[in-house]
Amino acid sequence: MADQGKKLLDPAVLSRLATLKLRVRAVAEGVLTGLHRSPHRGQSVEFAEHKEYTPGDEIRHIDWKAYGKFDKYYVKRFEQETNLRAWLLVDASGSMGYRGAEGRLSKLEYASALAGTLAYVLVRQQDAAGLLVFAGGVAKAIAPRAEPSHVTAILETLEGIEPAGETRLASAIDFLVERAQRRSGVFVFSDLMDKEERVLKVVGELRKRRHEVTLFHVLDPAELEFPFEDPTMFLSMEDERKVEARGRDIKKGYLELVRRWLEETRRVASEADIDYVLARTDVPLDEVLVPFLARRERSAA
Amino acid sequence: MNLSFTSPALLWGLVAAALPLVVHLFFRRRPRPTPFPAIDFILRARQENQRRLRLKRILLFVARTALLAAVALAVARPRLVAPEAKAAQGAVGPAAVAIVLDASASMGYRRFAGTLFDRAKADAIEVLTGLNSDEPATLVVCGGPSVPQAERPSFDKAELRRRIAAAELTHGHADLTSCVGAAVQALAESAAGQALRRKLFVATDMTAVSWRLDAAPPVVATPSGPVRPEVTLLDAARGERLENAWLSSVAAEPDPSVGPRGYRITATVNGQRRELEKDASLSLRVGDGKQERMAIRSFIEVPQAGSTKKTLAYDFPTGGPAVLSLSLPEDAYPEDDALALTLHVPREVKVLVVDGAPSPVRQRDAAFFVEAALSGNSSPVRPTVVDQDGLSKVRLSDYDVVFLLNVRSLGEKAPELVDFVERGGGLFLAMGDEVDPDRYELELRRILPAPLHVVKTADRSAARFAEVDWDHPALAVFSGPAREGLESVRTFRYMLLKPERKDASSRVLVRFEDGSPALVEARRGQGRVMLFTSTVDREWSDWSIRTSFLPAMQRIAAFLAGGLEERRDWPTPVFAPRILPAPEGIQVVSLLGPDGRERRVEATSGAASVTPDVPGLWQVKVRREGKEALDPTLAFAVWPDPRESDMRRLEPSELTAWFGGESHARVAGDRPAREGLDIPLWSWLLVVAVAAFLAEGLLVA
Repeated sequence: MADQGKKLLDPAVLSRLATLKLRVRAVAEGVLTGLHRSPHRGQSVEFAEHKEYTPGDEIRHIDWKAYGKFDKYYVKRFEQETNLRAWLLVDASGSMGYRGAEGRLSKLEYASALAGTLAYVLVRQQDAAGLLVFAGGVAKAIAPRAEPSHVTAILETLEGIEPAGETRLASAIDFLVERAQRRSGVFVFSDLMDKEERVLKVVGELRKRRHEVTLFHVLDPAELEFPFEDPTMFLSMEDERKVEARGRDIKKGYLELVRRWLEETRRVASEADIDYVLARTDVPLDEVLVPFLARRERSAA
Repeated sequence: MNLSFTSPALLWGLVAAALPLVVHLFFRRRPRPTPFPAIDFILRARQENQRRLRLKRILLFVARTALLAAVALAVARPRLVAPEAKAAQGAVGPAAVAIVLDASASMGYRRFAGTLFDRAKADAIEVLTGLNSDEPATLVVCGGPSVPQAERPSFDKAELRRRIAAAELTHGHADLTSCVGAAVQALAESAAGQALRRKLFVATDMTAVSWRLDAAPPVVATPSGPVRPEVTLLDAARGERLENAWLSSVAAEPDPSVGPRGYRITATVNGQRRELEKDASLSLRVGDGKQERMAIRSFIEVPQAGSTKKTLAYDFPTGGPAVLSLSLPEDAYPEDDALALTLHVPREVKVLVVDGAPSPVRQRDAAFFVEAALSGNSSPVRPTVVDQDGLSKVRLSDYDVVFLLNVRSLGEKAPELVDFVERGGGLFLAMGDEVDPDRYELELRRILPAPLHVVKTADRSAARFAEVDWDHPALAVFSGPAREGLESVRTFRYMLLKPERKDASSRVLVRFEDGSPALVEARRGQGRVMLFTSTVDREWSDWSIRTSFLPAMQRIAAFLAGGLEERRDWPTPVFAPRILPAPEGIQVVSLLGPDGRERRVEATSGAASVTPDVPGLWQVKVRREGKEALDPTLAFAVWPDPRESDMRRLEPSELTAWFGGESHARVAGDRPAREGLDIPLWSWLLVVAVAAFLAEGLLVA
């Protein structure tokens, strides 16, 4: 059964599911299944007060120590945590539409599935989740709310976006800085193919305002491994540029540049105290999310 | 140098070299358009290695073009030919041809699954095969002592081919300069050849000793003046260095320290090789035929160049004629790897010592001193001592030498002793108080070296030996400080001899200071007699306690037995005439060579002269008293010609220069010097093609 669920989380399998809702449901169930294995379950509720028992109350919440003292039935009441506000920033630029191979999710689809799953999980644990879709500028924005019906709105928005335009992460950050007055969690889903070379510095501004920032760096395996050999006309996905080159001639130089770029990105993220997660679109989503969520739970504890 | 092609028509293949250019211009693959997000990285990567990629593309283009061009050129078989080479080849017109075939011993060098001579014969036949029917030819087989002669060139090629096939390798030296002169003379005498060019082919191993380059180069005398022949050297060794190790000499010297018949045998080993050979085996064998056996197996270091010596010691078990041979491991030229030597090892000398005045005190007994001196461990002498009474019971003919020590008279034995001496026996006489000069004169007059007179007592001090014939075989052993042992002998009394008779066969070997004879030698019949005018005990002289006494007695016994003559048999070089002594009553019938063939010797009076033609041990068959048998005393050793062992080769340029330069002479075959004249380039082009192929592979990878 567990194997079956695991198989369902494979991006190749997910790509065959027609709607984002189905994908998110599949992923969220897998993720939650994975989290239930965590030893920190139940840590998200805190004891508030006692109430005299009335029929209909949960018997398991009866405080037997109080009964021993007062010879009356009291029931424990808990105060649920609803104070986390999360913003999901999804990059919908042209470059996010890249799909390295047939049967694989595009980067945008992968980022949407990640963001949707995260929204589902957050709302399910009574946190508020909001969405910000950006490309050249801010395309769509949904304020954070903790209602379950709000997840549907987020998923419908994500499902409706098309990749287009240049990556301008800075405009989304500016928008967020204006709107998010409270301390919030910010989850960025982007390939960071930004014209702005110091884009992470801008993201670092959020950290300075005490927001918890997590960067999901979404990349296709073809971008990391460059499987091209023959003469190819490479076309830019965000503007009109094109380059003719023989894959095997430039492969070594390209891979070296990507390696240096990733190293630099990790280093800057680390310096800015940004949680960095590299998300390859051929890796099952739960393998990206479960370790991340578990890490968060540990740090919260 | 001119560039020429064996197959110029195939040069059309060079068009193929344009294929890479054509493919580049007209058959480029169109790039597939592919959207890609990280285009900035592609741009930067391409920018960083753009220069390298351009250089790589150019190199790839060059390698592919070079590969195709080199293969196309190689197929056309290009070569560089010097104009001089063309002149020497003389490509036009028929020619009269003389072939000189080197049949010297060095051509027996084993190479190419046969000998160089086999290859030279094959080369000569190939030359004959290549001649046209209008080209006459002649042959000179060069080797051995015979004067080279060449017949006029004839058109009978079959006869020449038969002569070449029948030609045999000699064991002698070849003077190729003379042989070439004879061949050129034959070309000059050719009536048919007057309108023809003259070609000379020399099939040889090109060893330097076969040529005399200080002589005038050969020219063909023609009515229009002298003309140099067109010479082609057929190098049987194909330019290879010929290595050799050989025994150049063996000498055997008697060495008493080794044993009674001990010899010190010294071998000289020469080397001409690339590397020094350590621990080469050097074997000494003694005996001949079935009696031959290994005596000593030792090791020697064969030098790269030059010679080294090795001395072995061997004690022959018996006396008489002996054969020994020294050998190195067989190499490519086996002829000089072994040398034989014949010796006459002294036989055991049987001496009868007759003690005329035996004494119970041994120190007063002359026979005690003589027996002790003669019977040393290293002495070949076996003495038997008898007193005067015992003399009558012995047969003198059983002994080689008789020592009479202070014997008064021989009585009835005297005639037998005289006969013994005259038949070849040896006699030593020592004086003493018992000796009666009158009786000696009566009984032994015929064999005494001089008549005895009276006994003389030395005045005041003792007499010493003054005049000594140091060259006499019996006394030659004393040299340097050793002479003092003889000169210091003190004699108190001695027998005076009557004035010497005019006898040429008698001579005084040692005299006292007053001129009186001390030691006199004489030949009587076939025997020898020696008379010492004092005693060999301490009565009249102290010689018996001097250091010179022991060697003198042994040498005198050996001399009287006839064993000290210089009977050395010097080995004969191959093809050198040798005189065979013919002792009385013996006739030399034939010689049995080391190859097993028997050569009859012309019946002549006196000594016979023979010319051995094979190195090794030669046996002599003689007729004695009507019976024919091998006489081991006449066997002799023949050594190979030392000149043929020297395998140093001439530089081709030296030889071609002597013949008139490259315009008149060339060396056929795959010789490095030849490559300078006619260089095939196709193999180099194939190397270039392979290199281009590998470079292309590396660049693509």
